[in-house]
Amino acid sequence: MLPASAGEAPRALMPQKHAALFETYCLDCHDAATEKGKVNLEDLSFDLGTLQTAELWQKVLNSINSGEMPPEKKPQPTDAEKTAFLEDLSSQLVTARKVLSDTGGQITMRRLNRREYENTIRDLLGVEVDAKDLPADSSSGGFDTNGSSLYLSSDQFEQYLALARKALDAAIVTGPKPEMKTVRIEAEEEANRRIRGIFRGYQKQGYVAWKRWQDSKGKPTTDFGFPDDKEIEFRKLVWDRESPDFADYLSREENLTGAFLTVSSPNPQVGLAIPDDAPAGRYHIRAKIALNRAAKPDPSRTFVEIGFRGDDIESAIDLIDCIKVNAPMNNPEVIETEVALPPLSRPLTVDVGSQTKKKVTLGERVIAFRQRLPNNRDAARFIRRQSTDETGFNIEPALWIDWVEWEGPLLEEWPPASHQAIFFKQPDAEKNDDYAREIVKRFATRAFRTREPTPAFLDQLMGFYASELKAGKPFEEALKKPLSIVLSSPGFLYLAEPVASRESPTLTSRELAVRLSYFLWSAPPDAKLLAAAGKGELDTPAGLTREVNRLLTDERAAEFVSGFTHQWLHMERLDFFNYNYRLYPEFDDSVKMAARQEVYQTILNLIRGNRPLAALLKSDTVVINELLADYYGIDRVRGSQFREVKVPADLPRGGLLGMAAILAMGSDGERSSPVERGAWVMRKLLHNPPPPAPPNVPQLSRHAGKLLPARELFEAHMEEAQCAQCHRKIDPIGYGLEHFNAVGQWRETEYTEIAANNRVRQSKEHPIDDSGTLPDGTAFDGFAELRDAVASHDEAFARGFVEHLIEYALGRPYGFTDQDLADAILAQGAKQNATPRAYILALIQSKAFKHK
Amino acid sequence: MNTRRHFLSSSSALIALPVLESLGFRRFASAASQTTTPPKRMIFLGFGFGVTKESWYPDKRTVGTDYELPKGLAPLKRHQKDITVIQGLNNKFNNEAHWGSTFYLTGANRYAEPGQSFSNTISADQVAAEVFGKDTRFTSIQLGCENAETGSGHGPGLSLAWNRQGKPVAGLNNPVAAYHRLFADDGTPLEQRQAMLKDQRSILDTVLTDAKSVKRGLTKTDIDKLDEYYQSIRDIETRLSKEEQWLDVPKAKPKDPVEEPPSEVEGVAEVKIMYDLMIAALQADATRVLTYRQPVDTFIRSLGATITAHNMSHYQPGMRMEVSEMRDRKQSELLAGFIDKLKASKEPDGSSLFDHVSLSYGSNIQSIHYLDNCPTVITGGGAGVKHGRHLVMPDPKTPLCNLWLTLLKGSGVDVESHGDSTETIDELWA
Repeated sequence: MLPASAGEAPRALMPQKHAALFETYCLDCHDAATEKGKVNLEDLSFDLGTLQTAELWQKVLNSINSGEMPPEKKPQPTDAEKTAFLEDLSSQLVTARKVLSDTGGQITMRRLNRREYENTIRDLLGVEVDAKDLPADSSSGGFDTNGSSLYLSSDQFEQYLALARKALDAAIVTGPKPEMKTVRIEAEEEANRRIRGIFRGYQKQGYVAWKRWQDSKGKPTTDFGFPDDKEIEFRKLVWDRESPDFADYLSREENLTGAFLTVSSPNPQVGLAIPDDAPAGRYHIRAKIALNRAAKPDPSRTFVEIGFRGDDIESAIDLIDCIKVNAPMNNPEVIETEVALPPLSRPLTVDVGSQTKKKVTLGERVIAFRQRLPNNRDAARFIRRQSTDETGFNIEPALWIDWVEWEGPLLEEWPPASHQAIFFKQPDAEKNDDYAREIVKRFATRAFRTREPTPAFLDQLMGFYASELKAGKPFEEALKKPLSIVLSSPGFLYLAEPVASRESPTLTSRELAVRLSYFLWSAPPDAKLLAAAGKGELDTPAGLTREVNRLLTDERAAEFVSGFTHQWLHMERLDFFNYNYRLYPEFDDSVKMAARQEVYQTILNLIRGNRPLAALLKSDTVVINELLADYYGIDRVRGSQFREVKVPADLPRGGLLGMAAILAMGSDGERSSPVERGAWVMRKLLHNPPPPAPPNVPQLSRHAGKLLPARELFEAHMEEAQCAQCHRKIDPIGYGLEHFNAVGQWRETEYTEIAANNRVRQSKEHPIDDSGTLPDGTAFDGFAELRDAVASHDEAFARGFVEHLIEYALGRPYGFTDQDLADAILAQGAKQNATPRAYILALIQSKAFKHK
Repeated sequence: MNTRRHFLSSSSALIALPVLESLGFRRFASAASQTTTPPKRMIFLGFGFGVTKESWYPDKRTVGTDYELPKGLAPLKRHQKDITVIQGLNNKFNNEAHWGSTFYLTGANRYAEPGQSFSNTISADQVAAEVFGKDTRFTSIQLGCENAETGSGHGPGLSLAWNRQGKPVAGLNNPVAAYHRLFADDGTPLEQRQAMLKDQRSILDTVLTDAKSVKRGLTKTDIDKLDEYYQSIRDIETRLSKEEQWLDVPKAKPKDPVEEPPSEVEGVAEVKIMYDLMIAALQADATRVLTYRQPVDTFIRSLGATITAHNMSHYQPGMRMEVSEMRDRKQSELLAGFIDKLKASKEPDGSSLFDHVSLSYGSNIQSIHYLDNCPTVITGGGAGVKHGRHLVMPDPKTPLCNLWLTLLKGSGVDVESHGDSTETIDELWA
């Protein structure tokens, strides 16, 4: 089971000193003779090198953790004994898992994961496909590039076929160039009609009806068309609650020529419907908009959010952009964004055996504009209600829209380049069978990343073309079937690297190009890279370096950065919880999206600028846009693009530990979690991962229902030996970040509350103690010192980064057999300023990367 | 083809001819005969994130028939005589506190294969399907929901089902898809459907030609990987062959007709419709093995909660716990309604569907991050279980697979063991 170089490879060994604990507390029942519960610990090897041994040890760990063993009536180990034992055992079990899952450097051929599939289709056909319906790739842990865990389920082939067909339908064009249109809609048109209608409804069926009933002095409500008293009282209530805001809206002069965007009713969104016959593609979306300074809006309300509308005018939107509005009411400005309009999904159709899609929803092609808000109708209603309770009116609208418009489709050329790449001759070329065969052959060669299809395969493909033609389909249409089969073939779906001979397991230039581009772009190689490969330039260090630098400078490198970083830093946690909109209205979807981008953009910036990796631990700059600058309280950053800015001296930002996304990941949406934050720091920054949280450990609930600061709550971890073994290292790191609330904003005190249904029953402010220690004993007092202390572990951080990079790039778990490789990359990188780019280059130039 | 179709449509239900052994006739016979015993069916329901342990489990001190259903199970009161609540079952290998379904029906060890960070084995339903699925149009049906893996705490997988190779079996993740698979007839003429099948076959042949050239020069592990592609093609071929056998038999209609469900239902309404579709599928004898990986996230949202299911699963006294308990009750209520319908649905011999079904309801997650004492309710007469009792296993670590083995054997599946099972739970039959 141990790797070939067993002499040096680590082994999972339980220190012999713990035999004493066994002897004293366990063997009475679990010796070879008694074997109570069929558990014999006397013969249990202290070498966890086999699956069976590791499993039995896991059982030991679980039963001590859960307090089940030793049984209550029997003598118990001291807390110190227990802690020492559990600490060793849990870390040895982690080692054992790694030893047992070590592939010994074996890379398994992999299929394209969902990201790569989407990118590859875009590259080939110039259209966006949504691979969301394909099974998820990496749910069993590790990266989505790990070949051995990228399965293919039995329905998947048909899904590929259907997806490819859909993409080809969009990519192959036959008609004349679609006309570019500009359609402008005055915001007041729809808004006033709708709002007036609703207002009249409230009035007629509410107030007027109620008044008539009142005046009738005792006639039954049923005479007025209402089932009972309750109903008519309710209508009156709604009138009282809603009418002031509706009347106010309709009375405003500004709403005769435009529309205020209100929080929730009366006018939560201005909609821009793009008609069904508009072709898919890129469109400009614009609005003439102004900021209502009279409302004295706090800065977070001065942004307009643009997105695809949900089910109705109040639902959450599918966010496209969030733009700052500065212009005053007397001089509105035009803001603009670009959107990729998806092909109109057809109402439900069902194929034999393939998965069905949900039907088109009403809002699919309606672009909504609204004031920036938590993306949730309840939140908007809550904010409005707070204001109406206090003042009788909704909060003063911050934004006003004059008109909205769409322009498109934006086409560079016609037919699109991707169409011309398939139909490579002039449009007037003769459409005969030879041309068809050549089209399929060229397409397959491109799809297979320059591997030519065999004649036998081509023959079969042409059979489909022929029968489609025979069925009366036109030339272009008849080719779609064979082409979609190409895109469902293993030659396309798998990144195969066949071995020419046993003696030379080196990748061919072409294979190296493919591995490179899927590593750094999550996409197929472009013509330049293939040309470089063809000329043998990738075989020289200089040529290879040049291409790597080019790839990393290309905008497609963003795919690598987001794909890798998301998984490396476990950023899926950002989506694990809802952030409480009542406590944290500022942490809405726009900020969350920007906060996530900040992490990616920072790393991309380091790569592009070729700066040291350690800047992620501590930095005096941040890479942010206007929205985040507003969130962090940094001035003079304009626009939604990200750029590097200096951190003002008194702000606790700069480095991962000061980023909103990272801090928000360390909470449950309600409260900050020193445990999650501490564990994350150990895993990701200190490269000293604590063992995974064991199941079946009693939950800390002694303090439930009390208003205690997090620190006091978690100090209960120290009371139980099975908790203390890990938490004494984890929690004190997290305490250092306690001045950041659950969404990464700085706070002076910690607020706790007991609330139900948005009503606070009890609340309390606590002073914050943010002193703590790192696992190595370094004490710190507060965030700045914690960040410094962590930053001094830059070598450990770099090792963690490199190990993950190896795993991601080679598509297999990082194993003990990779130790030498990691050492070499780290040494090589250290010589070149320890930049991410240096590490990436060193990895690419290693033998492991160039070998099968 | 034509002759058999002709034969089927013209002959009366009572003829007995030497062609009895032909597949078509057996099918025909089981659907129409008045005298044969109704077939056995198995249903497995999995609900991802666990229950509220404080109010879902009956008091461990009250075992046997004399016990109170606690708050979380109270809506099942009217069926108390026909259900069994079991405590003390678990999957010993599962260490993943968010994976309520991945190993639920398999009991596998994710690290069992050296060099792999994940592996699984066949699930109990698929073991049953190998036997019960021979004579029905669908060997088995897997139902599911959107965003099940993380959103609802089911963990990796495409449904509750895992095949012989330990690979995930795809599910139908919304009522519309399920309805169409089970009941919709697209009205395409037979000849055209035959042509489509033929076409699908030649697509498979074509990609296999390419697979052959990809295979050249691959290493052993790569070939194993490519084998998954071959396997998926083989699976489709098997399905196509079965479709071919059934090509001339229209999809059976259930006794109580079902309509195409609306496309945008979520949560409680979605579960209800799925239950109705399951009843309809059983009535029409479209399949005899069903699994359902139920929604939790949209479920609680449709009950008015504004937190995610994951938030809920980490409950503490207060709002989260209220949501968790509300969810327990609502789920029990829907299950009770499902049982009502199973009982009300009559078989040709006068018995009810309920008498021939073995139904289990539970998850690999007990509560919060606890993986022991997996919540387990079983019902139905199919496996010969003597119901009406609360069972607390003497060993609190009794393999959950012992239950699956018991239900499989009780339903007439000839298996020696399943997953990490050690023995059957004979007490269930006593």
